[in-house]
Amino acid sequence: MMLLQPLFYSVTFQCIESLQWAFKRLLYGLSTKMKLFTLIPSVLYLFSVAFAASPNVDKFERYQSISRLAPLQLDDSSYDDLIAKPRDYYAAVILTAMEARFGCALCRDFQPEFDLIARSWNKGNKPDDLKLLFGTLDFTNGKNTFQKLMLQTAPVLLVFPPTVGPYAKVDDSPLRFDFSGPISADQVYAWINRHLPDGPKPPLVRPINYMRIISGVTILMGAVTLFTVLSPYVLPIVRNRNLWAAFSLIAILLFTSGHMFNHIRKVPYVVGDGKGGISYFAGGFSNQFGMETQVIAAIYAVLSFSAIALAMKVPRIADNKSQQVAVVIWGVVLLGTYSFLLSVFRVKNGGYPFFLPPF
Amino acid sequence: MAESPVDVLLKGSSGQSTRGLLKVIILVTIAAAAVSSRLFSVIRFESIIHEFDPWFNFRATKYLVQNGFYDFWDWFDDRTWHPLGRVTGGTLYPGLMVTSGVIYHILRFLTIPVDIRNICVLLAPGFSGLTALAMYLLTNEMSSSPSAGLLAAAFMGITPGYISRSVAGSYDNEAIAIFLLVFTFFLWIKAVKIGSIMWGALTALFYGYMVSAWGGYVFITNLIPLHIFVLLCMGRYSSRLYISYTTWYALGTLASMQIPFVGFLPIRNSDHMSALGVFGLLQLVAFADFVRGFIPGKQFQRLLTASIILTAGLAFVGLVVLTMSGVIAPWSGRFYSLWDTGYAKIHIPIIASVSEHQPTAWPSFFFDLNFLIWLFPAGVYMCFRDLKDEHVFVIIYSVLASYFAGVMVRLMLTLTPIVCVAAALVLSYILDTYLKISSGPVTRGRSNEDASEGLRSARTPEVGITSYFSKAATTSSIIVYLLLFVAHCTWVTSNAYSSPSVVLASRMPDGSQFIIDDYREAYYWLRQNTPANAKIMSWWDYGYQIGGMADRPTLVDNNTWNNTHIATVGKAMSSREEVSYPILRQHDVDYVLVVFGGLLGYSGDDINKFLWMVRIAEGIWPDEVKERDFFTARGEYRVDDQATPTMRNSLMYKMSYHNYNKLFPTGQATDRVRGTKLPAESPQLSTLEEAFTSENWIIRIYKVKDLDNFGRDHSNAVAFDKGNKRKKATKKKGARLLRSE
Repeated sequence: MMLLQPLFYSVTFQCIESLQWAFKRLLYGLSTKMKLFTLIPSVLYLFSVAFAASPNVDKFERYQSISRLAPLQLDDSSYDDLIAKPRDYYAAVILTAMEARFGCALCRDFQPEFDLIARSWNKGNKPDDLKLLFGTLDFTNGKNTFQKLMLQTAPVLLVFPPTVGPYAKVDDSPLRFDFSGPISADQVYAWINRHLPDGPKPPLVRPINYMRIISGVTILMGAVTLFTVLSPYVLPIVRNRNLWAAFSLIAILLFTSGHMFNHIRKVPYVVGDGKGGISYFAGGFSNQFGMETQVIAAIYAVLSFSAIALAMKVPRIADNKSQQVAVVIWGVVLLGTYSFLLSVFRVKNGGYPFFLPPF
Repeated sequence: MAESPVDVLLKGSSGQSTRGLLKVIILVTIAAAAVSSRLFSVIRFESIIHEFDPWFNFRATKYLVQNGFYDFWDWFDDRTWHPLGRVTGGTLYPGLMVTSGVIYHILRFLTIPVDIRNICVLLAPGFSGLTALAMYLLTNEMSSSPSAGLLAAAFMGITPGYISRSVAGSYDNEAIAIFLLVFTFFLWIKAVKIGSIMWGALTALFYGYMVSAWGGYVFITNLIPLHIFVLLCMGRYSSRLYISYTTWYALGTLASMQIPFVGFLPIRNSDHMSALGVFGLLQLVAFADFVRGFIPGKQFQRLLTASIILTAGLAFVGLVVLTMSGVIAPWSGRFYSLWDTGYAKIHIPIIASVSEHQPTAWPSFFFDLNFLIWLFPAGVYMCFRDLKDEHVFVIIYSVLASYFAGVMVRLMLTLTPIVCVAAALVLSYILDTYLKISSGPVTRGRSNEDASEGLRSARTPEVGITSYFSKAATTSSIIVYLLLFVAHCTWVTSNAYSSPSVVLASRMPDGSQFIIDDYREAYYWLRQNTPANAKIMSWWDYGYQIGGMADRPTLVDNNTWNNTHIATVGKAMSSREEVSYPILRQHDVDYVLVVFGGLLGYSGDDINKFLWMVRIAEGIWPDEVKERDFFTARGEYRVDDQATPTMRNSLMYKMSYHNYNKLFPTGQATDRVRGTKLPAESPQLSTLEEAFTSENWIIRIYKVKDLDNFGRDHSNAVAFDKGNKRKKATKKKGARLLRSE
């Protein structure tokens, strides 16, 4: 009898799956998408209640077969059922808010990573008695659970240890992983692994994106072909000295005006000054705003260009009068801009003693 | 035209020797200015080694001088990284120490008795004079104008971007490495220009010296191949390139492999693979170039080109496969974090925690380079005018180094030389144009004015400046900018870069100078009052100083080769006493040293660094140490009443604020760094006891208590000594309650 049972249930559950599939088809034809998602879990729930009545039912295998490789899509009731005691399996549930209206970029970014973890685990080789289920509870389906746990933020990953079985923990309260920023599957998987008993575990396998490789190769070959065909037209541009000079100068101006700082520290573009206006320059020597660096880059550009003009352009002006005017104009621009730069620098560095006349 | 005495001096063969003499005098003056502007710290304070790393270099140099070269080579240091020790001889760049050792022995040979410390202190200023000279040579290769080299040398001599790492007492690898960098580049440019094996071999020789002196040699290892690669892409292959590059690569790689710390890295590490790849590519291109002459017909030529491209592609794929399979090590962490800027913060917090590895905000660029920073793009633009091989080098170097300097503050040092070159190029061009008294174009040593190839701005012929007013106005304004630059450099050097950071100076309200010498006070206390084998635990920043000044074994130091060991110290600092004490006992720690700036308002103290200790410890023990626990519910990092229990029970917090409130009237204790009031109660320490606190409380040293004589745990013992045993007893054990009553 005992031997037969698992077989029996697995058969039944295949039926349920096909039933579920049929349901989906049916509902898809009849109703809106919205209804489909609310209905399916409740159908599941009906079954789960029905089977929970019999003590011999292996909840783990049931969920396992529902989920196949991806994480379970949970709602309030199935969540409660999943984590109900006694449980002889680990359950890793991510509480998330995927819908666009919540504006949770982190949730949407992490979901494929979580699916990847679940897929790697379910596919890989693991000890037979080490049971781990993955589930996703979206806020739309699990408002009550979010309320019960008093969650203000998403996503949150909870790992419930088993209460019975070889790996049962005395303290059965869930372990919680708080997300503090973008995070990769490897880090989360390492965290989960740390809380599982020692022993071999399936490695995290990222599926090879053949589509990407093929498209990459195609694009590369296309580019080479295009280049060969168009080379009479492209080569003069590629070999254009002015173009390269412009590129180099722009790169240098970007880097020396602190663009990499903005990129690494993710500084705000501008900040209000509290009086309804905008403060363009951040206080402090090692602090800056995005717009500030653009202003500085522009100042450097003007100064450099004046220097280039004085060095290269002016000596090539044949007319005496216009040459003198050009010298005066560039000289004044240079002086004024440099003086402005010094005054800005005095704002950043309080004790700086030097200045030039206008500013 | 009548010959004036000046003409006699400046024209003809006697003119040449006069110019030569003038150049020598100017260069010597520049070198003198470079040396003397770095002596502020010696004059203000004393001849003392600065900061952190120099203390290790100083200690290693003393070891070298005392024990000789071969002992130094095999040096195993058991007084650091207790209990692991460090294979010091094999894990350092010996160039700096060997240089000072050689100077020391030469001076001794000349019977000039000089203390090794003074050589170490003055090595950096001395080499900065040589750097100015090397700069002159390098810039002279770039420009036909003789003034460009002199201007560049002057800029290099006094620009704060270089002074920041080379003031007297800053006895660090960079002290000699920048000279070697500039000089190697000079030799390289010379080799490319002439295509001679001699110059290529000299490049390799100085490259080898550079490898022995600084980890930044990787910059050269990648820049020179990149230069060649770009030249190949521009279709400028010539036998000059082949000769200079292959000579440099073969000899330079062999030379670099002689350093034990580098060893087989040049053939096993991704950092060096571009050099190898370009070496292979150059062979192919040379082969194609050679065979082309013998092959008739267009088809064969095409076949040849195709097969060359195919071979190069296959070689590239081979390199990638070797890297993937692990035969070639991936990019080293420090170098890789330059490209993937978020990498270090997540994976190597110990690299991200160092202040000189932070990205650079724009004021730092202006602070370190002043008006050179806006002459720099103009100078790069000037390089596009001629665009000879050496100008391509300047352009590549400029773009690459400005990127690196933007990502990491310390790499400002590699940017500075090229900024000086570029700025000198444009400024000398302007000065040459505007300082010419007679009108008419300046005769420049350029032959081909190819209008279609060149820059848009250089297409019309040059006529020169005609009016005296224009000349006078431009020249005088440039002189003003130059004077401002000198004033700026002096001010910055004097105010920002001349503090030894071992000795601090501040101003009293009446304007007089107040010297804060807590570090040396505390280190000398350790030296005088503890057994020679007492193990001192502190955060790694102070490891080298304790080793150098107190001469006591430390657990971790600035070498940071073992992340786990550092994390252990971080864990001990950030855990409760019950957790920390076993760690301290297991590591034989006798004294714990913390730096506390709360009384003076010294912001570089351990409480401010504390979060890094927590982060690094969390990297190894994520379940036991959690950064989140040190922040309040509202996400603030606080030390006052609102501080989290984890924070207040951490060893670091307790050691910092132990008995601090006794300095103030009740309830008035304030922390001047964090600017907050502290709890009225002092934190209770039970496993440590205060051993020493320096004059201004910057350094606090605690002795680790031995096990209790009666076998009690320490908190009970302390409670008993205080006489509040009763309170404890009522809580815990009923039976004892009876007895005490």
